[in-house]
Amino acid sequence: MTPYFYKAPVLTLEGISMTFEGEVILRDINAQVLDVCRPDMNQGQVVGFYGRSGMGKSVLCRILAGLMAPTTGRVLVGEQQEPVTPGAVGFVQQRYPLFNHRTLHDNLLVAASRKYAPEEAQQQTETYLERFQLTAHRKKYPAHLSGGQRQRAAIAQQLLCSDHLILLDEPFSGLDVAMIGEVKKIILEVTTMDELNTVVIVSHDIATTTALCDRLWLLGYERDTNGQLIPGATITADHQYNLAEMGLAWHENVEAEPEFARFVEHIKDEIRM
Amino acid sequence: MKELFSPNARPRRVVFTTMVAAQIMLLLLLWAFYPMQMLPSLGAVLRALSELTTSQGLIPELWASMTTALQSLAVATGLALLISYLTALPFFRPIAYAASKMRYLTLTGLTFFMAILLSSGHEVKLTVLIFATTVYLVTGMTSVILTTTQEEMDHARTLGMSEWRSFWEVVVLGKLDDMLEVVRQNFAIIWTMITLVETLYQSEGGIGLLLYKQNRYLHLDGVVAIQLVILATGALQDYLFGLLRRVFFPYSELTTAR
Repeated sequence: MTPYFYKAPVLTLEGISMTFEGEVILRDINAQVLDVCRPDMNQGQVVGFYGRSGMGKSVLCRILAGLMAPTTGRVLVGEQQEPVTPGAVGFVQQRYPLFNHRTLHDNLLVAASRKYAPEEAQQQTETYLERFQLTAHRKKYPAHLSGGQRQRAAIAQQLLCSDHLILLDEPFSGLDVAMIGEVKKIILEVTTMDELNTVVIVSHDIATTTALCDRLWLLGYERDTNGQLIPGATITADHQYNLAEMGLAWHENVEAEPEFARFVEHIKDEIRM
Repeated sequence: MKELFSPNARPRRVVFTTMVAAQIMLLLLLWAFYPMQMLPSLGAVLRALSELTTSQGLIPELWASMTTALQSLAVATGLALLISYLTALPFFRPIAYAASKMRYLTLTGLTFFMAILLSSGHEVKLTVLIFATTVYLVTGMTSVILTTTQEEMDHARTLGMSEWRSFWEVVVLGKLDDMLEVVRQNFAIIWTMITLVETLYQSEGGIGLLLYKQNRYLHLDGVVAIQLVILATGALQDYLFGLLRRVFFPYSELTTAR
């Protein structure tokens, strides 16, 4: 097992509940992402929130990104654990939106300008274009980019102006096997850029998400003593998985391991319950 | 050839151009040789056009109308953009709603009302045109603003942009090309109105007045000639607006199905 230890929290969800017009969508969600350190490694972390379709994952994403205030509870981010505000967490939405009226270069520059002085912003833009293999497409408008290029650009844009935390909403949705591999590479690339970089994946793709993460939270419904479903998705104590502790994190080809397959089956059983 | 009748087909440029040229030729042949002479003959219209140009000042009159139209359009566009963008603030939304509904007001009633308020005929003419164009533009522009999605605004906010900055980036800059398209579409309305307004205030002339006189003296060939000139001017305007869009907003047509 890879040696590791935890440092300060980088993201905390405290009693998050969300109700829309009397309908409970999310109920009392608690989770904490800690900065995980591995000796001789300078790598951030990848954590995942898994939930079936229609369970309120997008609502959770918007709350995590500070775009929506929960009915109760709060989200704390960063080393200082301050309440989340829009812009504090990079949020790559499902369809990778970019500014269609700006070239790829300008899309990144406008993001970099939020955080850096003009000269440094220009420099950072160049660095990210290079790092995300987008330099050749710098003058293209988003409509001219392929799905993969667009996704890379959207992630780069968010990274340029956020503080280490980046949230991906359904990053594997609708992608073929090759593209999923590409996205996985990008995610790992992001974590190697800074030890504090934390990628939060919110997805319904259990196998791919599990393969990348070192922590996993499962959104689901609880039942009351009569066996009736309690409204509002939540994360029970049984549905919080420390994959590092389980020896399933940071393996290059973890999907081929029997332990991993057994764990995914277990998760599937939990979902079906 | 077959592709000209296939749904959503994209014929080659040369095929399409030949088809358009053939259609125009057919139209001209029908006009020249159709036995039921509903329209004056092509020759008569061309003669009228020549006569209107040489002795009745068709070009200066067209220019006078054109400058009035452009003047009205410029002011109306500024006003409509202001009213539309102000809908970001709830306080101003009723104004945009009311402005949009005012397109149902009749031009004659409006002209009478303006005539009471203003002193010179030119002012009345210009104000009526500005008012009428603004209300149409506000309708189109607010519709464009309403196409803004939650995803677009969220995207700007996640980049740490304030609400005003997000509005500027997503709605103002992001939809400027669509606003230009709204202006292009509504420019035609000015031409419809200007011909009417010029007949009410005849001191400044204009192509509308020229058309009115041809109508009055039953010079059908002159009427058709002037209408064709207005049609050609409109087509040229459309082309110029398209050109502006392609030059200033090259991204605009990238996602359009052709």
